[in-house]
Amino acid sequence: MENMLEVKNLRKRFGQNEVLKGVSLTLKKGEVLSIIGSSGGGKTTLLRCLNFLETANSGEIVVNGKTVYRAEDGEKPELTPEAQASFGLVFQQFNLFPQYSVIDNLCLAPKLKAKREKQDRNEEIEAKARELLETVGLSEKANAYPCELSGGQQQRVAIARALMLSPEILCFDEPTSALDPELTGEVLRVIRSLKDSERTMIIVTHEMEFAKGVSDKVIFISDGVIEEEGTPEEVFVNPKSEKTKAFLSGGSK
Amino acid sequence: MEMFLDVLSQLAGGFVTSFLLFILTLILALPLGLLVSFCTMSKFAPLSMLSKLIVWILRGTPLMLQIFAIFYLPGILRLFIWPQMNTGWEWFDTTFSTRFIAALVAFAINYAAYFSEIFRGGIQSISQGQYEACQVLGMSKREAFFKVILLQVIKRIIPPMSNEIITLIKDTSLANTIAVYELIFEAKEFMVIDALIWPLFMAGAFYLLFVGLLTIIFGLIEKKLSYFRS
Ligand SMILES: Nc1ncnc2c1ncn2[C@@H]1O[C@H](COP(=O)(O)OP(=O)(O)OP(=O)(O)O)[C@@H](O)[C@H]1O
Ligand SMILES: [Mg+2]
Repeated sequence: MENMLEVKNLRKRFGQNEVLKGVSLTLKKGEVLSIIGSSGGGKTTLLRCLNFLETANSGEIVVNGKTVYRAEDGEKPELTPEAQASFGLVFQQFNLFPQYSVIDNLCLAPKLKAKREKQDRNEEIEAKARELLETVGLSEKANAYPCELSGGQQQRVAIARALMLSPEILCFDEPTSALDPELTGEVLRVIRSLKDSERTMIIVTHEMEFAKGVSDKVIFISDGVIEEEGTPEEVFVNPKSEKTKAFLSGGSK
Repeated sequence: MEMFLDVLSQLAGGFVTSFLLFILTLILALPLGLLVSFCTMSKFAPLSMLSKLIVWILRGTPLMLQIFAIFYLPGILRLFIWPQMNTGWEWFDTTFSTRFIAALVAFAINYAAYFSEIFRGGIQSISQGQYEACQVLGMSKREAFFKVILLQVIKRIIPPMSNEIITLIKDTSLANTIAVYELIFEAKEFMVIDALIWPLFMAGAFYLLFVGLLTIIFGLIEKKLSYFRS
């Protein structure tokens, strides 16, 4: 099967500080990739580069065989809407739009897109939003405002919102680490259900048990390089790298 | 009693002028202030430096001075540029509408400077995450600002804005220095001509009532926006 995502030799510097030192990875359709690693290793930066919130200094991103991003050192390529639309991102801090109800949070971006394309698709968009709210188990909260929801509910809304635009690859940056421990379960359950529906996902997480259970592939990043990669068994049970062993044995953090 | 009604109608006429100055200043200064706040936040250094300089001057000098400057400067420049066309002081013998416009321009740019700083503070207090969420959802910067950011900014700046706007209605009285027949000007007329002091206090009551009304309006807006937290 073709690779859905290929990342080739991605590099990112902040000033003199090189945070990603040539990261390459591949992902097939429907696969779930978990990224683990200690703090400051560059996990967030990698996701942000994939979502074009940071501009990688060099490297290439290929989605479904099509190059959506390629930069040699020093140049800054133009960002196309298609490239942006290939990826979705769920933030640690949810970042819902506080002044919109749950349903409007979901519908805002797709409706603006339809307006840009001079199409009237409001009904279709709203129907899709209700369907996705059903998926994340929040149908009855459609008209609530974000401030009326718990953290776990807000994050589930954020997941539904990211799915509205049907990104090829959905990324999560520590989706549960801003949540009280008793609320992480509901969010992880939603992510697991997405795996069952063949969503291609990249998840940065500190929840090792979850990563072990849900992933097809695991990557351990340390100091901007992929230190270890493989199936969950390979990385969690039989790690080759000393750094990975040290990380895994030092508690789950 | 007749005197009282006479004063009341004169002052009401003055208040209409004050109110016009007030509302037109707001209509001009609010969008201008937003524009200036974008300029001061611009990444293009010359633009941000220039607009910061202008804001500094406008906030750093008395409003009365700025009114005089805008009122007299065009005439003075004209004397310098075409001395042969010197028509003496006649040129300054302006109609009411030019004096009103001079005052309006002075208020609008002065208040735009204050508003711009309030807007800047409000815009910069919105978390980066809101912009990032808009970007990953494929919205343009323009859509993000007008559909997501602006209302949150408005909610946050209502308290400082209401302060500034309440100051504005009272500042309109400065226009009497260039003979714009606003509320204080009319009240002073009674003092000078009829030796009456109480019309001035009555003028005060006009301001007080109007500020009361503004306070209620801002309270309502605040309540209307209390349905969300950000
Ligand atoms: N905008 C930025 N400017 C400068 N340095 C940055 C910026 N963002 C990240 N860094 C640096 O890049 C490095 C990697 O940060 P990153 O957030 O990607 O790590 P992480 O693996 O996500 O860590 P954590 O597990 O704590 O979330 C850190 O040293 C950080 O200080
Ligand atoms: Mg991180």
